[in-house]
Amino acid sequence: MKRVAIIGVGHSKFGVRADATYCELAFEAVKEAIEDAGITQKDIDLSVVGSVGNRLYDMYPAPSVNEYVGLTFKGPLRVEAACASGSAAIFTAYNAIKSGFAETAIAIGVEKMCEVDTPTSTAIGGRGCYLWEFHMFGTSFAAYYALFATAHMTKYGTKEEQLAKVAVKNHYYGARNPKAHFQREINVEQALKSRVICWPLKLYDCCPISDGAAAIILASEEKVKELKIQDPIWILAIGYGSDTGNLTRREDYTSIKSTRIASQMAYKMAKINPEDIDVAEVHDCFTIAEIMAYEDLGFCKKGEGGKLIDEGQTWIGGKIPVNVDGGLKAKGHPLGATGCSMIYELTKQLRNEAGNRQVPLKKYLALAHNVGMTGQYCYVTILGR
Amino acid sequence: MSKAPEYPSIKSRTLTITHDIPISRTKVYWDGLREGKVYATKCKNCGQTYYPPQPDCPNCLTSNMDWIQISEGTLETFTQAYLKPQGFTHYEQNYIIAIAKVSEEIKVMGWLEETDIKNVKVEMPVEITAKTMPDGFPTIILKPKQTSTQHPALNQ
Repeated sequence: MKRVAIIGVGHSKFGVRADATYCELAFEAVKEAIEDAGITQKDIDLSVVGSVGNRLYDMYPAPSVNEYVGLTFKGPLRVEAACASGSAAIFTAYNAIKSGFAETAIAIGVEKMCEVDTPTSTAIGGRGCYLWEFHMFGTSFAAYYALFATAHMTKYGTKEEQLAKVAVKNHYYGARNPKAHFQREINVEQALKSRVICWPLKLYDCCPISDGAAAIILASEEKVKELKIQDPIWILAIGYGSDTGNLTRREDYTSIKSTRIASQMAYKMAKINPEDIDVAEVHDCFTIAEIMAYEDLGFCKKGEGGKLIDEGQTWIGGKIPVNVDGGLKAKGHPLGATGCSMIYELTKQLRNEAGNRQVPLKKYLALAHNVGMTGQYCYVTILGR
Repeated sequence: MSKAPEYPSIKSRTLTITHDIPISRTKVYWDGLREGKVYATKCKNCGQTYYPPQPDCPNCLTSNMDWIQISEGTLETFTQAYLKPQGFTHYEQNYIIAIAKVSEEIKVMGWLEETDIKNVKVEMPVEITAKTMPDGFPTIILKPKQTSTQHPALNQ
């Protein structure tokens, strides 16, 4: 089978970007990715736009994005997998190269969330399963993850302090990432004292509502040779999983099953184990999600996610550094951009270009874990160099 | 936190969306809610039960269902929503959203009839009823059972 490489990555500043439209945000990311790859738009065969898009003034964002960034005629689709749309775009671009349809493809993740007010954004987010949940109970994503937090805390004794420690770590690294939404440190006490959003989750347990874009350029091994690109980053595996739309049809609320399915698929495909990973990006839309990800990805035993953060094992220098770009929690979570943003960070890490946030590399293996909704979608991507 | 600088912007034209959602095949359920009852479906062919109720069975690909009432369960998890989405901002109370387990195949989401989260525990037994809110929308109410039938976990 053809190998697929990452030859260029780009990332806009994340945050409340009232200064830019979604097309302008996409341009920031695509320009950087194209310059990083050292190619032009002419070299790109396929453009895949990943965007949830339902908070935009445009309902069909892909044509406008492609036109704006100089990729008209290259973009026959937009993909959507909720908060995992960026990974879905990479998955689609990867498969196009694997199958021989394209030699070079770009995945553009873009989201503009802050042009509508918070109750509107919350309602759009909560409408993942409208008829049987939102319609009657006013669910939101904070509420959904809070249901998992309560169950996890009850079953495993996970503490609010442990959730707060995840936020403290991710803010620490966000403060060192110039592209992050929040660039300031917080402490455990501040996190615990912040206002309740959906009990037991408080403000600092929740990622912000953010605008942003990220772009990843993929190429076949042949194209890499033709372009004379030395030492690229390779996609070793992409695993995927999914789960029920209705939360009431889940087995339990202490684990994201699709994470387990996707990661097992990815580990098997890459022929590696969780212990081999040097650095990981996990889907910390809420602090409890990062705790569950530690467990479901196999970084620790089930129920010991709280202990792993207590021990500081997910900081740089620990057993498995996680979200050292700030994660969704501090870097921000512009839905469609997030999956591409994870691959951007891991590519920089594997190239040893992450500056003051550089993780020491042993096996040059990195893992990205991107969840859509509460596990309705999941992608786990493993990169190597 | 430093205040974000203000940038010039223009307003989009207003878009209003309200859906007419078909219920002809789940009318028993929606009528039931108005009568205070919650129904699930059970496949007459293979016996699989469904909640949310669905009139089609993906298990055996038939569409011949019985309606079965569900009336009690035990709490599996819960949260209290301080953040309210558009459509719910007129509710003054911070409602408690909970999921109750009814059987191996059925779990139900509802609003818990309790205002103090400290009184709520996982594994609490609840009655499952329904009501129509003052704004005309139906909801499911999970009502904690009387102390005499409380789960032992509550005494901890």
